[in-house]
Amino acid sequence: MSPVDHPPMLEFRDVRAAYGRIEVVHGVDLVVPSGTVVAILGPNGAGKSTLLKVACGLLPPTAGDVYIAGRRITGARPDELARAGLCLIPEGKGIFPNLTVRENLRMSTFTGKSLDEIEDVAFTRFPRLGERRTQVAGTLSGGEQQMLAMSRGLATDPALLLLDELSMGLAPIIVEELYEIVAQVASDGVSILVVEQFAQTVLGVADQAAIMTHGTIVAVGPPSELAGDLSTAYLGAGSATDVATTR
Amino acid sequence: MSQIETPAPTTAGAAEPSERVARFKAEIAEMRLRDPKASRDRVWALVGLVLMVVGVIVAFAGFFISRGATTAFNSQGPAEQRDAIALAVAGVAVTVFGAAMFIRYSFAQFLRFWLARLIYEQQAQTDRIVEAGKG
Repeated sequence: MSPVDHPPMLEFRDVRAAYGRIEVVHGVDLVVPSGTVVAILGPNGAGKSTLLKVACGLLPPTAGDVYIAGRRITGARPDELARAGLCLIPEGKGIFPNLTVRENLRMSTFTGKSLDEIEDVAFTRFPRLGERRTQVAGTLSGGEQQMLAMSRGLATDPALLLLDELSMGLAPIIVEELYEIVAQVASDGVSILVVEQFAQTVLGVADQAAIMTHGTIVAVGPPSELAGDLSTAYLGAGSATDVATTR
Repeated sequence: MSQIETPAPTTAGAAEPSERVARFKAEIAEMRLRDPKASRDRVWALVGLVLMVVGVIVAFAGFFISRGATTAFNSQGPAEQRDAIALAVAGVAVTVFGAAMFIRYSFAQFLRFWLARLIYEQQAQTDRIVEAGKG
């Protein structure tokens, strides 16, 4: 089975990205094999979320290319990618706070699924949302809002899921609950790229992890091997060489 | 540039591609893509802006020519004035066309999102009113 026959689900090749003139991603190469969970870890401002925006077409790279299933998709429109089955659950949840839970779920009917089907999937995975279906989303707890955001994402039946800072602002017990769902989704064969600042829980779910600092990937490997590198990366090691020498 | 290769997956996480994944790959393969480097949106927006400015200049030029056309020493005055008025109208048309182009290529993508949201919220509001009416 050659890599050409089975290309990775998602691949970044020397991707650079910038906001205006400020480059925040400086040539990243990263591979997400089909059916695996890959975690990108790193401190705040490392360029992790920017990389996800590039992957889903929200931010065009200034150089380099993004490949999905062996096809170069640089320049693809985000709505086209979303329709095909790429789903980004953004940092800050991305729900409509002035709409109810049910109305938020209805926003996912663009995929052609009925609201009943979407609710069935959402309320089976997150029964708590079922109890709050008529509640305005802005009044839910942080964990419930994140559940709603995940439900909306999962309702689209994604084949490639991008998760940005799932744990942000949530209690550890809620984060564990959410990552259990992520593990279930991964076991269905969905490829997942997850970005996290807080590593502990995600390392238990990920098949591979990458450490990103200052816009570059400084280490990639199985979570067990990278756990030791994390503190070095977070405490200021800025280059691959620095991290490599700690091994 | 980081040159670190991701090793092959080590756990049982690499499941057999499901029908959904196969469909996703097929849709990605069939997707029609534009080369982002070939995107001409900015160029067209700039062309629209230039047309707006040129149109205004032409319209004002037509106005001033038409005013100067009718003098006691100019027997062709009325004909020249008609030509100048036509020129001014053409200038206004060019301005309108340029403005439309500028809006199309600079604001359209941004406004499309808000329009979609507005439509949805209006629909939801209507549904709520209808349900309240039934109750």
